[in-house]
Amino acid sequence: MKRLAIASVLLAAVLVQVTWAPRLTVAGVFPNLALVAVIVITWTAGVRKGMAWACVAGLLLDLTAPGPIGPHAVALLAGAYITGFWIRNLDRESVVHPVLAVAVSTIAYSFVLVVVDEVLGLPVPPFGMALQLVIAACVYNAALMPIAMWVVRRLQAPTTRPGVAV
Amino acid sequence: MLLLAMLSEQSWAAGARGAAKSALAPLESAMTQASRNLDRVTSVLGDISALRAENQRLQAADVALRRQVIELDAAAKENASLRQALDFKRTFGHTMVAAQVVGRGPDGFSSTVEIDRGTADGVRPGMIVATGAGLVGRVREAGPHGALVQTLADPRSRVNVYLAKSGLQGTVTGGPNVLHLEIEHSLGVKPSTGEWALTSGVGSGYPRGLVVGEVASVAYRPASTSDQALLAWVNEPSSLSLLLVITDFVQS
Repeated sequence: MKRLAIASVLLAAVLVQVTWAPRLTVAGVFPNLALVAVIVITWTAGVRKGMAWACVAGLLLDLTAPGPIGPHAVALLAGAYITGFWIRNLDRESVVHPVLAVAVSTIAYSFVLVVVDEVLGLPVPPFGMALQLVIAACVYNAALMPIAMWVVRRLQAPTTRPGVAV
Repeated sequence: MLLLAMLSEQSWAAGARGAAKSALAPLESAMTQASRNLDRVTSVLGDISALRAENQRLQAADVALRRQVIELDAAAKENASLRQALDFKRTFGHTMVAAQVVGRGPDGFSSTVEIDRGTADGVRPGMIVATGAGLVGRVREAGPHGALVQTLADPRSRVNVYLAKSGLQGTVTGGPNVLHLEIEHSLGVKPSTGEWALTSGVGSGYPRGLVVGEVASVAYRPASTSDQALLAWVNEPSSLSLLLVITDFVQS
């Protein structure tokens, strides 16, 4: 049941990302809701579950993007892995760390996406333009993270005992 | 995942890949429709809806008139230089299929749109996509009932153009906010702001004469073999909704 709920949330996040979110474009980027959702899942449920759901969300993103199926899944896996590394070593309850984690994960996501395109022989954007897009995406996704974490913590509040990590 | 990416990239997997990708098209279409309905409901308050419709009508008329002026300018230029003798097909002699935008690319690296027409409607990868205002891009992939269109805003897009007044040739590169234009130097001729760029047909990637955009600024580089310019795309990426797929132009 919980898996179905998470799958539904990810599907909704991907659909919103490719239909509504582009209306909120600033500096050429719009919210990467799938990435934010995967980081939130990784932060709250652990790295293994986060990486598993990163594959699912990535494949859904690949279905909406041109080119082969897989690059977005690899890129989201990188983001989830970095977040997993983060939560093993730093305070999970902090508000600042998830924000930094999503910003760093956005860089990793974008870097992997460009590298995979390069490896597969697909055209890649010029470096300067890619850098501009990555910086803007980092800021945008980081700004969304506190809201996403707040929503998830509110949803978890009735079933979580104080002081016990999820 | 990398293996999947490599396998799905193969030409023999194009059909299955296209079919898989068009699987989400109905959901995206429903989502887009819901979004439009929501817009409609919210705009009922006051006269916003009527004003918006009037504004859109006037904007469409303005765009159509501007396109006519540009095309007339371009045609006059061509007549003067006897280019009409060349066997280029004129833009509006082509067969087109109308398609609705149902979704967009998942991030800034892939400025694509998904349309609700696919191979079942005669849409094939490589076909050119335009609006009444001008060039939009090219179909990258097509499934039975949906297709992905790479727009000019995609950083990986390249289009050969010429400027309507000066006749200078150049190449447009995609970008998230504005298009970048590299203009080849020609003795005694300088590009200027306000000039319109149209597809040149060079390289046979696009039909000649489709409007691409207006030169917004030029950075002259006397020591170089080319000048750099910024181009305001004739289509507003966020407002693309109804597109025309040119089905009888084949990229050579």
